Amino acid sequence: MDMMERLMNLDRRWLYLLVGLAAVIPILAPLNLPVNVSRPVQDLFDRVESLEPGEIIMVSFDYGPSTGPENDPMGDAIILHALARDLRVVVIALYPLGGVTEAREELERCVGDLDPPNGQIASERFPDKVYGRDFIYFGYKDGGLAAMRLMSDNMHEVFPADFYGTPLDEYELGREVQGYDNVAFVMSLATGIIGEWWANLVNAQFGTPVAVGCTAVSAPKYFAYYRAGQMFALLAGLKGAAEYEFLVSQKYPQLAQITDSFIYNAGKGWDVQSVVYSIITLFIIIGNVAFIVERRRQKRGM
Amino acid sequence: MDFGTVAATWLGAFFTLCILSFLYKDNPFFRFAESVFAGVSMGYYIGNTFGQTFVPNLVHPLFTPPAGTPREWILVIPLLLGFLLYTRYIKKVAWVSRFSLAIYVGYYTGVNMMQKLQGEVLPQSADTILSFWRAGTFTNVGEWISLLVVVVGVLSVLVYFFFSAEHKGAIGGVSRLGIWFLMVSFGAAFGYTIMGRISILIGRVIFLINQWLGIGNGGVA
Repeated sequence: MDMMERLMNLDRRWLYLLVGLAAVIPILAPLNLPVNVSRPVQDLFDRVESLEPGEIIMVSFDYGPSTGPENDPMGDAIILHALARDLRVVVIALYPLGGVTEAREELERCVGDLDPPNGQIASERFPDKVYGRDFIYFGYKDGGLAAMRLMSDNMHEVFPADFYGTPLDEYELGREVQGYDNVAFVMSLATGIIGEWWANLVNAQFGTPVAVGCTAVSAPKYFAYYRAGQMFALLAGLKGAAEYEFLVSQKYPQLAQITDSFIYNAGKGWDVQSVVYSIITLFIIIGNVAFIVERRRQKRGM
Repeated sequence: MDFGTVAATWLGAFFTLCILSFLYKDNPFFRFAESVFAGVSMGYYIGNTFGQTFVPNLVHPLFTPPAGTPREWILVIPLLLGFLLYTRYIKKVAWVSRFSLAIYVGYYTGVNMMQKLQGEVLPQSADTILSFWRAGTFTNVGEWISLLVVVVGVLSVLVYFFFSAEHKGAIGGVSRLGIWFLMVSFGAAFGYTIMGRISILIGRVIFLINQWLGIGNGGVA
């Protein structure tokens, strides 16, 4: 059996093992590979930089743990960036299988623990920021489209209380946000279709500026919305997350320290992604070459 | 590290390894983890919806409104509609559940029709058409290439899906070009899909190495 035949008959578990090793080694010995920033990501950074201190942004956690490695770093970066710019942040969750937990975890990673009963405490990481005044967590709401539509008319009907059960009217920031008109833009961290709804419902019908941080699987479709101007920015998968994290870390070294303290961040993931992706690409090329050679041999009757 | 965090980390590691064991071959550990995941997901969804939507948006305003706030009697209608859905389990009155379903389907059809047309078909068609008008603002060759790819791609793929004329001659040629564009877009989608799946693997591997085994740089979970 020659080499080509061996390649064609290679047990796929050897490839799994190789991919596994390629995932482990860069974690143990980080490569710190360079990150090139693309236009859709730069647009988000520029928009956040252009806002006046005190303006409000809404971050919607529309994903669950299954896509956490892609969406978590986006959530961390946008919240940290906004707070560093003295913007105010409203966090919501619309994804049923884990959105509410992801939102709370990422918010707590960025600002420090938020303990019940009412979460009305100063942030550990940003001592001048207070829950309810500078950032707030409205919690999760079921219904997706219906909730998004109603939020335009009356935010408090959709979210009568925050995540901890305290009526929104008891918080300065809660009172101020009555609908989409009160936020500068909505950032949806999305898996699947919910990010699309922000563009084709909220942006199209209410004119609210929308940015989306989507999973890589959904990215090709989201680029059409970005191109058509229905989203002003797009973070596509782990690559988009790594680019945005890089921009934020370059401009705000104090935030880079926070991000580096996380067990998982996009920069770390991107190192591994690059190595694994290169190996997979190499094997796709080898597989195709082996297939073409084998087909030619068969044609020649060898 | 408190006991809860340690236990959660070990449980997470155990179930991660159970799922990854499928890469070698199907086995009882994988099936056990799969079943636990399905059950936990369902329980989580029900508990979450009850605590975060049902109670604050229905129970509190209807049954226990805050002092000085009137009861929202209008909510009796969605409550009844919700209960009617469960008549499906009683054979004699199962038909009643159709009223709730009809309202549900009607609402989402109405919302979706407008949403698709106003938020997807029209703006994206308009953007393709208006691409030529934007050409005057282009500053580099890349933008021109991008414009050509989008316009030629959209038109050729539309021709490919136009079945009222036989795909021969010029139409056949354009249709074949459409197939090429479709193949390239499938390739791009596949590449992104691999990227997404690898990201999930990376998340798990980092969890196992840094958090569970404690090798390398630890930090905030």
